[in-house]
Amino acid sequence: MPESVLGLLPAAIAAGLARLPGEVLGGLEEIRIREGRPLEIVTALGSRFVSASGELSASPAGAYRPTRDDCVRLLDRLSNHSLYALEEELRRGYITVRGGHRVGIAGRAVLERGAVRHLRDVTCFNVRIAREVPGAAAPVLPHLIDPATGMVRHALIVSPPGCGKTTMLRDLARQLSYGPETGRGRWEGRRVSIVDERSELAACVGGVPAFDVGPRTDVLDACPKAEGMMMMIRAMSPEVLVVDEIGRPEDAAGIREAMLSGVRVLASAHGGGFADVAARPVLGELVRERRFDRYVVLGRRTAGGQRIDVLDEQGRLLTAGVGTGRTGADGERRDGRPAGGIAGTGGRRRADADVRERADAEARERSALRREAGLPC
Amino acid sequence: MLKFAGALLLVAAGTLLGWMNAGRLAERPAQIRRLVRLLSQLETDIAYGLTPLPEALGRIGRQASEPLASLFRSAAVRLERDGMAVSDAWRAALEGVWELTAMKNAEKEIMLSLGNTLGATDRDDQVRHLRLAVKQLESLEPEAAEEQRRYEKMWKSLGLLGGALVAVILY
Repeated sequence: MPESVLGLLPAAIAAGLARLPGEVLGGLEEIRIREGRPLEIVTALGSRFVSASGELSASPAGAYRPTRDDCVRLLDRLSNHSLYALEEELRRGYITVRGGHRVGIAGRAVLERGAVRHLRDVTCFNVRIAREVPGAAAPVLPHLIDPATGMVRHALIVSPPGCGKTTMLRDLARQLSYGPETGRGRWEGRRVSIVDERSELAACVGGVPAFDVGPRTDVLDACPKAEGMMMMIRAMSPEVLVVDEIGRPEDAAGIREAMLSGVRVLASAHGGGFADVAARPVLGELVRERRFDRYVVLGRRTAGGQRIDVLDEQGRLLTAGVGTGRTGADGERRDGRPAGGIAGTGGRRRADADVRERADAEARERSALRREAGLPC
Repeated sequence: MLKFAGALLLVAAGTLLGWMNAGRLAERPAQIRRLVRLLSQLETDIAYGLTPLPEALGRIGRQASEPLASLFRSAAVRLERDGMAVSDAWRAALEGVWELTAMKNAEKEIMLSLGNTLGATDRDDQVRHLRLAVKQLESLEPEAAEEQRRYEKMWKSLGLLGGALVAVILY
């Protein structure tokens, strides 16, 4: 676990966690602190409770229970002793701290004219540990670059919280910026702009990214996404624009605007799968307009790996189980053919044939759609 | 001759003691006024600048004059370097510095209770508490000025006369 996290925690909690075995600390994903309730950690393998002396247990019986004082001190440090400077963060319910770690908080909401104005009596903390995983995007990268033109495809990364959307987006930005390496050789590096509203992608400290986001990457830190996207397009002439966690109506407007400006957009959104995204009011509109060329759906991480599906602009499965070395649970394509996972059964030749075949099918479908709409083919 | 020199020393010591006490009395309202100004500056930094507390305290510590400067500076150092909670750091800074000021316990209590909320609530609440502390301090100032008016001259003459009295008795 990074020092930056341990330094934030109250002494009693830090002491318990510091005694955990190295491999547990290394794989730590979340630390959950709730006043008067057992201290919990979450790793890739699941949740465990921690005792004051650093022993792990599946039962909450012997666990350390953080006191009110622990919580007050933690909030004091998270806010750099200045809760008044975090009004926006408290309204949104999380604080991003040095190192890009995000701390979710819950307590008692203070309302003003029906809207949340502030949180008081903060007693629940979820410290999410940010990690750089270089290469996290490698399995999906080939799907996000048009093999014929080298154009980056508009893509939306979809997953439930905590499945690695941000990590993947960060690595995509990094690889595109360095010059991505795919099966077809090395592509040229792109000018990438990141609008980092939550300071999670680049984890800027004093405006300088703490994570490696690539040599051709500009970061606009802590700026609202919709406004930030337009600012970056005007100011930094990006080829690829990267934004995290879209969902508000103004985000969608910004994304349309960016796509129409000829900028390629990589974004992420919460959701269990394509159907969830299509059902959400704002995102659903973007889906129906077929703004995104590819959807990358991340599944829950398990001991066996993580399921990653790549879908085309209509939500049809292109490849399943990328990166895990095994086919996904529903090993059938929607059109009835078996899903040949690239990392699974199919070799490169087969994949290439697949791509061509698919492109033909797409072209046929597009012209059918245009006929329907009364446009010339 | 030696006796005379000793008597002179006694008178001088008495006078000095009187002047020091008078000086403290005169210093107190002035320090209260300065403290009020510094707290208003802190309010501006918090309410409009949204400056993080350690930075705001450090900046005030650099601009103020001693001994109040060390109060803000040491609180800032305790927050930044030692990672103490605000109320602890504020209390420790007050305990360390208060002896050096001319102010009394009433002012110290106001400052201590301010430390309990400093940095720990939203902006409006911070402003409310800072203004309350300022108001309370301001209400102490006339009293301090009255004390100065009444006792400053008294201490000066008392010191001189007291020294002379002891000298006469021992002569």
